[in-house]
Amino acid sequence: MRKYLVLLILAALTGLLVLPVSAQEALPDWIEHSACEVDLTGSTIPIIHFGDISGSFAFITQPLLVGFADAIDYFNARGGICGATMIQDNRDTGGDLSQTQAAYDDYSSREPKPSMMVLYASADAELLREQLIEDGIPALISAGSVEGLYGEDGQSPGWIYAANPLYVDQFGNFCEYIGANAEQFPAPVVGYISWPGAFGEAAFTPEAIAYCAAQGVTVLPENESFLPISTDITTQVQNLVDQGATILYTNTLASGPVAVARAVVDLGLEDTVQIAGVNWTLDTSVGLLSRTVIGADGLPAVDGLIGSMPFRWWTERDQPGIQLITEVADSKEPPLEPQNRNIAYLLGWSIVDLYVEIYTQTANRVGGLDAIDGAAVNETLSNFSYSPLGLYDLNFADGVRDAVTNRIAIMRFANADMSGVATSGSDALTLPLADGTTAFLPIVVPVTEFEETPDLRPGGADVP
Amino acid sequence: MASLVKQNQKIITPLLWIIGLIVLVALFAPAIAEQRPARLVQSGITGLLVGGVYSLIALGIVIINKASGVFNFAHGWMMLFGGFMFYSFFSVANISPFAAGGLALLTVLLAVTMVGALRALRDGRTLLVAAAAVVGVTLLLLVPIPMLRGVVGAICGGALIGLAVERFAIRPLIGQPLFAMVLMTLAASELLQGITQMIWGSVELPLAVFSPLREMGIPTPFRFEGTGAFEGTIIVRTELLAAFILALLSFAAFVAFFRFTSVGLAMRATAENQKLAQAVGLRVRVILGVAWAIAAVLAAVAGILQGGATSLSLNLPLLALRAFPAVLLGGLESVPGALVGGLVIGLVQEYANLLFPGTQAGTELAPYVLLMIVLVIRPDGLFGQKRIERI
Repeated sequence: MRKYLVLLILAALTGLLVLPVSAQEALPDWIEHSACEVDLTGSTIPIIHFGDISGSFAFITQPLLVGFADAIDYFNARGGICGATMIQDNRDTGGDLSQTQAAYDDYSSREPKPSMMVLYASADAELLREQLIEDGIPALISAGSVEGLYGEDGQSPGWIYAANPLYVDQFGNFCEYIGANAEQFPAPVVGYISWPGAFGEAAFTPEAIAYCAAQGVTVLPENESFLPISTDITTQVQNLVDQGATILYTNTLASGPVAVARAVVDLGLEDTVQIAGVNWTLDTSVGLLSRTVIGADGLPAVDGLIGSMPFRWWTERDQPGIQLITEVADSKEPPLEPQNRNIAYLLGWSIVDLYVEIYTQTANRVGGLDAIDGAAVNETLSNFSYSPLGLYDLNFADGVRDAVTNRIAIMRFANADMSGVATSGSDALTLPLADGTTAFLPIVVPVTEFEETPDLRPGGADVP
Repeated sequence: MASLVKQNQKIITPLLWIIGLIVLVALFAPAIAEQRPARLVQSGITGLLVGGVYSLIALGIVIINKASGVFNFAHGWMMLFGGFMFYSFFSVANISPFAAGGLALLTVLLAVTMVGALRALRDGRTLLVAAAAVVGVTLLLLVPIPMLRGVVGAICGGALIGLAVERFAIRPLIGQPLFAMVLMTLAASELLQGITQMIWGSVELPLAVFSPLREMGIPTPFRFEGTGAFEGTIIVRTELLAAFILALLSFAAFVAFFRFTSVGLAMRATAENQKLAQAVGLRVRVILGVAWAIAAVLAAVAGILQGGATSLSLNLPLLALRAFPAVLLGGLESVPGALVGGLVIGLVQEYANLLFPGTQAGTELAPYVLLMIVLVIRPDGLFGQKRIERI
C-alpha cells in the first residue's frame, strides 16, 4: 500500500513539474527563431528603453510601449527567450537631451552593464553614439540619422542598429518615385520643411539633393523649419512655394505633417502642392490629428500625403505577422484603441521578436546568460540577418546599420463600406464624435513594392 | 564730456533711437524690397494674430506679477491644464455627475475659503450661496451643449488650479523673499506637469473648438485674392482672429480693472509692498487669490485657443517661453505692455521668417535679439515702471 502511495505522490509531483510546460502555448510555425541550445529558465532579460514618452514623440512612443507590453506577454507565455522572462524597463526623457544623458549614465553604470538598449530618437542616437561604443553596449533604434548610425563621415558603423532605413535614403527613394512618375509630377520641385534638430534635418543633405537632381527632381537649396509648438507656419510654406516648390517634404511626425497640411489648405494650394514625408508622416497619429483640418473635398487635409512605408501595415492581413498582431490586438479587453494601431505598436512587437532572436543566438554561442555582455550581443548583431515577424527585413552584415528596403505609400481614408478608399468626405467611413467633429479611419496604400533604398550616406555608393 | 552728455540726454536718447531705426531700415531695406507687397501684408497679419496669442499668455503672467511681484513659471502648465479641462468637458459625450459635482465643489470650496478658512461656511448665508453655486456649476457642466460645458469646465478648472497654487504654494510664503515664491512656481509647474500626465496621458489631442465656425458658414480661413501690385493670396486664419479679438477684449477689460476698480487698485498696492498693503488693511490673501484665479482662467483661455489652432500636447507649455520675451519687452507689470510686447514679438518673428528664409531666425533668434536690444536701452521694458531705490 505504502509503495502505491509513494508512486502516487511521485506521479503527482511529476505532473506538477510537467504541467507548466504543457500549459505553455507554442509559437506559430512561421516564426522561425533559432533553436535554443541552452536553458535560461528562471532568469529575466530586461528590455531597457528610454526616450521621449511625454513630448513631441509621445503619439509614437506611447503605442510603442503598449506594443512592447503585449508582445512581451505573448512571447513570455510561449517560452520567452529559451525560458528567460522578458521585462520592460522604460524611462521618459521628455525629449530633453540632458535627461537622455542622465538616463544613459544611470543604466550604463549598473553592474552588470546592460547588454542591449532600445532608443527612439535621432538626437539620442547622435548624443550616445560614441558613448555606446566606448561602454560596449549595442542599441536598437527606430530612427535613421546618418551621424547616429554611421558617424559624421557616414562610413563608421557604430553600435546602434536601426529598424528603419536612413531618413536620407528614404528621401532619395521618394525622389526616385517622383522622378519615375513624371506624368503625375511634371517638373517637380521639392521644398523641405521640418522641425529643427537631428530628426527634422536628417534627410536634408547635399547627397540627397544631388541624388534627387539625378532623378530629375529639384530640391530647393534652402529648407524651412518650424517648432512643434508653432501656432502658424503659413510664412514658411509660402517661402517655399514662392521659390517654386510643388512638393513639400517634411521630416516630422504627429502634429508636424498636420501643420504643413493646414497651411497648404488655408492657402488654397491643395491642387497645386503635394505633401510628402518620412515614414512617420504615414502614421495613424497624423490621420487622427488631422480630423480638425479638413480639405476642400471634406476629407482630412493629409489625405493623399505620400511617404515611406518600410514596414508591413495593418491592412496587409495576408501577412502572418500582421494577422498575429491583429488577433492579439482584437482579443484584448478592451480591444486595442485606434490611436495605438499604428507603426510604433508594430515596431514594439518587432523589437521584442528581435530580442528573442538576438539573445537566443547569442546565448547559444556563448553558452548561457551570464556570459552575455554588450560585446557578445554586438557580435551577433554585426552579422545579423532576420525578418522580425515578417514586418521588415534586416541584414546588418558588412557594416550595415539600418534596414535597406523601403516602399512608397499614400495616406488615404477608408470609404463607408471599408471596401476601398474614400474619394470625398461624403463617401468616407466616419464616426461622429461628442465634440461635433468626425473621426476618419486612416489607411496606408502602398504604391511601390519593397525595393532597396539608395545609399546616400556621405561617400555612399549611390551619391552622384 | 560726461557732463555734456548728461546735459543733452533728452536730445541724445531720441537721436540714438532714430539712428538705430535708420540703421535697421537700411539693413533690411534690400530684403524688404525683394518681397511682394502681398507677402509683407500676409506676414504682418500672421504676426499680429500670432502675437495676439502671445499677448494673452503674457497678460496672465503680468497679472500675477502685478499682484504679487512673482514671475510665474507655472503659467505654461496652467494653460495646458485649462486646455485639457476644456477638452474633457467638450469632447466627452457623457459627463459623470460625480466628476462635474466634484469639480464644482472643489472650486467653490477653495473660492469660499480663500477669505476665511473653512469656518466661513459656518455662516448660514455663505453656506447657502456656496451650495447654490455648487449645484449651479454642476448643472452647467452637465448641460448637453459641449461648448458651454467646455467653457464652464475650463473656467472652473483654471480657477481651481490658480486658487490651489496660491493657497498651498504661494500663501505660506507671504512676507518671504520673492525669490522663494518664484522658485515655488517652478515647483508648481513640475507638479502640474505630473498631474496633467496622470489624468490625460502624454498623447497629443486635437481640439475641435473652432469646427463649429465651419458649420456656421464662417470661412476658415478668410481668403483674399489680391490684384495688381498686391497680387497673391492673403489669408486671415479665423481661429487666430478669434484669439486676437479675445486678447484685445481681455486687455481692455483688465486696463479698466486695474485703473478703476478697488480690487484692481488693491492688487497694484499689494504688488508694491505686501507688508505695507496688509498694514493699511488690504486683504492681501484675497487679492492674491483673485489674481491667481484670474491669471489661471486667462491661461486656460490661451490654452484652448492655442490647442484649437494646433493641438493639445505636452509641448504646449513651451509656448509660454515664447511669451516671456513679450512680458519682458512690454514691462513686467504693464498690462498694455503685455499687449504691445506680444504683438511686437509676433510681428518680429513672422517678418524674420519672411526676410530670412531658410534660417531659424524667426523661430529661434529674432524675438530674443529684439528683447536684448530693448533691455539694453530700457531695462524695465517698453512700458515697465522705472524702479528707484533709496539707499
